[in-house]
Order: sequence, then C-alpha cells, then structure tokens
Amino acid sequence: MAKSLVESDNGFFDKFGGKYVAEIIRRPLDDLEEAFNKFIKDPEFLEELHVIQRDYIGRETPLYYAPTATELLGGAQIYIKLEGLANTGAHKINNAIGQCLLAKKMGKTRIIAETGAGQHGLATAAACAKLGLECIVYMGEVDVRRQQPNVATMELYGAKVVPVTSGSRTLKDAVNEAMRDWATNFATTHYVLGSALGPAPFPDIVRTFQSIIGEEVKRQAAERNIDIAAIVACVGGGSNSIGVFTPFIENPNVRLIGAEAGGVGPKLGENAARMVGNAAKVGIVQGYKSKFLVDDDGQSQPTRSISAGLDYMGIGPQLAALGECGRVEFTSILDKEALEAVNFFAKNEGILFALESSHAGAAAMKIAKEFPKDKAIIINMSGRGDKDIFITSPVFRPEKWKEFLAAELKRLENNEDIHDAEIMNK
Amino acid sequence: MSHLIAGFPDGETSVAIADALVKGGASILEIQLAFSDPSADGPAIQTASTVALEKGYSTKQGLEIVKKIHDMHPDTPIYIMTYGSLAFTPGVENFVKMCKDAGVSACIIPDLPFDNDEGLTAACAKYGMENIPVAAPSMTQARLEEMASKGFKYIYAALRAGTTGSQTVIDQATLDFLDTVGKGGAKVLGGFGIRTGEQSKVLCKHVHAVVAGSVFVNIMLKDPKDTAGVEAKARELSGL
Ligand SMILES: Cc1ncc(COP(=O)(O)O)c(C=O)c1O
Repeated sequence: MAKSLVESDNGFFDKFGGKYVAEIIRRPLDDLEEAFNKFIKDPEFLEELHVIQRDYIGRETPLYYAPTATELLGGAQIYIKLEGLANTGAHKINNAIGQCLLAKKMGKTRIIAETGAGQHGLATAAACAKLGLECIVYMGEVDVRRQQPNVATMELYGAKVVPVTSGSRTLKDAVNEAMRDWATNFATTHYVLGSALGPAPFPDIVRTFQSIIGEEVKRQAAERNIDIAAIVACVGGGSNSIGVFTPFIENPNVRLIGAEAGGVGPKLGENAARMVGNAAKVGIVQGYKSKFLVDDDGQSQPTRSISAGLDYMGIGPQLAALGECGRVEFTSILDKEALEAVNFFAKNEGILFALESSHAGAAAMKIAKEFPKDKAIIINMSGRGDKDIFITSPVFRPEKWKEFLAAELKRLENNEDIHDAEIMNK
Repeated sequence: MSHLIAGFPDGETSVAIADALVKGGASILEIQLAFSDPSADGPAIQTASTVALEKGYSTKQGLEIVKKIHDMHPDTPIYIMTYGSLAFTPGVENFVKMCKDAGVSACIIPDLPFDNDEGLTAACAKYGMENIPVAAPSMTQARLEEMASKGFKYIYAALRAGTTGSQTVIDQATLDFLDTVGKGGAKVLGGFGIRTGEQSKVLCKHVHAVVAGSVFVNIMLKDPKDTAGVEAKARELSGL
C-alpha cells in the first residue's frame, strides 16, 4: 500500500487532496498545519484530550454484538460500533473536541463551523460550551428547516446559528460562508471543518481525531477474539468511515465498505453518490481535488438524500483515492432501504440508527450472507436516530404525527400548559 | 480595471455594463464567469453569480458575452476571473483556449495557487495570454516574495485580508505590501473593497491599475437597470 493512501504526502492522497485555495485563506491553513503537527506530538495535549474523550465524550463506545440481526440475516456475525452513544449523539464530537482543544492551544477565542445535519454543529457547540469558546455555526437555510431539533440544541449550548441563504442553501453553501468568515477573522478564529475533506491539512486532522473509532474496534475485537471480515460505514464527507477504517487500511483481510446516499434513484440530482455510478467527476471544489457531482463545466450540482448528513456533492480526498485503487468498496443505499434498516435494528436490537448510519446498516444487511458464521461484520453506527424523529415519524406514523404537530401548534398559539390543552380534555 | 459578471443581471445588461465601464474610463475589464461556489468572493458577488447561473450563463454562454464585449471594445483588454473548477473540469488547456477564442488576454483564478496551478501558467503562455495570480496581505513574506519572483507580468494584489465586498483602508502596511508584490517586476493590479474616487486616487500612485469590482455589482443589485450609475461610479474612480 502506497504511503500516501494512509496519510497525505504534502497534502495529497495519491492524486487527490491538495490545498487549492485563494491566498487569502492560505495563511490560516499553513498556521493550522504547523500547530497541529506540533500539538499532536505533545504529551500534555494528548493527555488532556484523552481525559476529555473518556469523561466527557464517554469513550470507549461499546462494540455491540447484535444476536437477532445476526440470526435473521443468516451470515456473518453482526457487530455494531455504537458511536451514537458518544455525548451529543454522533461521532462528530471526536473531531469537534480535538479541533477546539487545538484552537484553544493556538490562542483562538472564536470558533466557526459549518453544519449539514446539524450533528457537527451540535458537537462543536457543545465542545465550545465545555471549553469556553465563542461559537458560530453556519447552516444552510434548507437544513435549518429540516433539522430544527439540532438548531434548538445548538442554541441551548450557547452557539449562534447563522442560516445561509446563498446558493443551494445546504451544506456546501455553509462551507463557503465559513471559509469567508475565516479569511477575514483568522487572527482570532479557528474554523472547525466537520468532515475529512476540504483543503489540507483538514483531511489529515479530521482523520487523526476520528481514528479513535477504528483503534477501539481493533482493540475490542482483539480482546474478544472477533474475526473481522468487513467494516461498513456510511460516507458523507467521509469522517466516520475514514475514522473506523484507518487502522485496517493496510490489513488485506478486512474488507472496507463505504455506503453512499442513493437517494431516490441513479440520475444526477437524485442522490449523493460520488463513487458509485458514473455521475461524479474528478474536480477541484472547495479547496481540494476529489470526486464531485459537478456538471461538464464544473458547476456543482444539486444532491438528494433523506439524510442531511450524506447530502453533499464531494467526498474526502483520501476516500476517493482509496476507492479509485479498490481498497475501499463503495455501494449506494436508497432512501427507502435506509428507512427499512432503521426499522430493522430498532425492532430487533433496540438500537436506533441515525438515517446517515442506517445506510451502513442497510449495506451490511445486503452482504451479511456472503460471509461464513465465524466471521464478523462491523457496522459503524456513526450516530443515533433521535434527531431524525421529524423525518421518520411522518414516514412511519404520519396520521399520529400530524395530530401531534397540530395540537402542539395550537397549544403554543394559545400559550397553554400541556395539562390544560384541548387535546387533554377530549 | 473594472469588474463585471458575465450574465448578471442578464446577458444584455452585462454587455451594457461593460460599455458603461469603458465609457467611464475603465482601461481593463475583469469579467467573472459565474461559479456555483465562489468562496473567495463576498455575498454581493455570490448573489450576482447565482443570478447569472439561474439565467443560464455558465462557461460557454458567459464566454459568448465576453466575445460580444470584445468585439465592441477590441482595444480594451479583457481578463477572465473565475474558479479552478471551471478551468479544471473541461481541462485547463481547453479552458484557456476557449477564453482565447473569446478574446480574453489573461486569466485570474485565485484557487489555482501559483505553485500548484494545474498547468494554468503554461497553458496561458502557449496561447499568448497571462496567468495573473492573486496576492493577499496575510501571506507570509517568504511566500509573497516567491510569488513576486516567479516572473508573472501582472499580479493582482487583494488589499484586504478577507473576501471581496467591504471597505479597504490604504495605510502604510498596504503600501509596503504593494511594494513587495511588485518587487520582481510584476505590474500590480490593486483592489478589493475600493469604493470612492478618493481611495482610488491614493492607490493609483502605487499600482499599475486600480481594481474595482463589488462596488459596481452592488449598484446593479440595488437597481438592475442602473448602468448610468455604473458609468458615473467608473468616472469617479477613474478620475475622468
Ligand atoms: C450521524 C452522522 N453520520 C454520518 C455523517 C456523515 O459525515 P461523515 O461522512 O463525515 O462521517 C453525519 C454528518 O453530519 C452524521 O451526522
């Protein structure tokens, strides 16, 4: 395995990656790279990080054996890495805490972040509250609407959520807005990018802070004699997947499988599949070279997925490189398959997957039979599904949900306590 | 050097804007090809780019506008400003050739860095054009000097730390920055946030050309018919 597939060589993973940015944003990136390279070797920094990971994030997270799923799927043993049990409900906190702590060491007082699903914004808001940093979260207006519970929680943590109204008003536009802010305010401000993408050094930094997922899986598997045949993770920008894959990249006995958002179909605009199918092109967008859903001119194209966290036109450069050389296999999962997987694991294991993570669950369900019973598949459950109740409820129980929302609205408008509300006196 | 976006607020008006700018004294036109993710630009140019794209002015249609403007003003050099994605996706050399055919004499692509430009400088040289890198005050002295010494004929000096769109102050630090940019013999195009004739007058003593951009875009965002306002502003800035 080429070294540049494991970590970047001067910012590049094979031919992908780089620092394709205007000079206005170059300096903060170079400063960040220098600081990261220094602190990531500093025992004091690492000890502080370790304590926060243990006591605040709640690491290590369990590697759960799923007996009913294993039996029903009739192949490999199914294990689920419960990243959803990390504080704030997803793996995003691993990176947010790491970068916020680094920013604090660099003397920054103000943190900005972009967010799609809101999970990264939420994690960053919590990290800032914990570490005493000011926090501004840029979020596309469309995402603000579809992920309202996370917006409310970010505000509870004291963050300011700024709706982004430019462009397609989703994650990529939030990234643009955060870049703009950073270019102007980098003297005081660190930009916590939320996935393993963007210009160097972000892909290396995010992978480093997320690799704890894979390191724990490796240790847990060794302790319990689990024979891992495959690891499955969902791929938005690629942070949870590269995090769980990293310690296994050079182990040819472990298949690494990335599940992309298949949305509602295979056509451009119907999904967010960059590695499956042939809609994506090698391009340079938002500071890095990778595979993007752009048109023949290079304009970014709309994407679609039921999971906001996978609804992005680019993929982290290291995963693009690992995909092109065949080390990571990619598959795409339709919205409806992701919903079925949420249902399957909730009913059979009492585990509620986030819609992003359920793409990995669905991919594992499809391939479980290919493996013998003494082998294990690890599903990285990157997040838990509480946040998706506004998306899953209208699908699974539309009438009851409608009634609930209508009654809540009425109650709010009448400014009534729940005990006095009309719905209680029927 | 005055800036406009091909296709904003629509095709015809963008040609009229170019006309107004030249009448107002612009000696060079910087024409931006709208890109979906203009992260080095501020909100005004982002909004205007979105409008241009909604009207269908991507690369090909944008360059048709450029060609029209070039045919009307063959003596006014046209520099294309855009983002790496629009150059890289069709192939950098192919993109440069399309620009050449439209009458463009230089390319300004801020996210293709001068030391990793995907062959942009070479392709420009091949077609008798210039690649104009964009320098920023936040660059380290070493990087700035490296850029200045690379033999570029022109360097665009972005005077503020941030993205296009807010006011620029011309102080001693700015003047020192401009000196370094021009150290290797490059002619300096200086701008970012130029709003008034007064700023322009101070700046013009220190640069080859003063660049004004979002000031015009803002006029057109306020009133998409106000080409007269654009011409008046151009007059103010050029000191005509
Ligand atoms: C729970 C969860 N999983 C996965 C993702 C996708 O991101 P990534 O591919 O960086 O892990 C997100 C993004 O918001 C998320 O919230």
